[in-house]
Amino acid sequence: MTDPALKEKIEELIRENKVLLFMKGTPEAPACGNSMRAVAAIEPYGVEYAALDVLPALEPLREVTGEIADWRTFPQLYIEGQLVGGADIVEELNESGELAELLGVDRAEGQPASAKEQFKAENPQQSPPIQIER
Amino acid sequence: MALVDDVKSLIEGALPGAAVEVIDEGGGDHLRVNVSAAQFEGMNRIDQHRLVKNAVRERSDTGELHSLTIKTSVPQ
Repeated sequence: MTDPALKEKIEELIRENKVLLFMKGTPEAPACGNSMRAVAAIEPYGVEYAALDVLPALEPLREVTGEIADWRTFPQLYIEGQLVGGADIVEELNESGELAELLGVDRAEGQPASAKEQFKAENPQQSPPIQIER
Repeated sequence: MALVDDVKSLIEGALPGAAVEVIDEGGGDHLRVNVSAAQFEGMNRIDQHRLVKNAVRERSDTGELHSLTIKTSVPQ
């Protein structure tokens, strides 16, 4: 049984964040290898994205995302309100260049390694963790 | 039944005739699957993954199956 208030909150987050990652842990400290793979695929593009740590409410969030997107495992990447996939699909799309298209940026490949660090230095608050109040 | 065999039969049950290969990537609960199924024809990748994930849903919901890396394909 899903919590209607939580479902509404999650639907709002999906609607309002162009790029949204549900993950275990935070981009700075991923708590699972698959969440780390998703972060590693997205970060080099330097796009702004929101990240939600699912661990504080894992079971309720499984139920909610199961209802919203028929997907119950994490990570989950949403772009413009649509579920793109979990770590495997995100990696495949990254390799094929489709992820860049979805994010609306040039391919990250060939970008100097320092670009990411530079972006982070300029945008220290780019992806504050979202807290779910329970 | 070992989780590897369990996961294999659950996916085979959901996709009759599919070629399913399950590899233990560590600890018996981090698995990788390669699934080749005629049923995937005409489906996008996310729906193919949904089918595989939903087949093993009970195992992943309990945490018994901690991580499942999926590769799907349509037989040539």
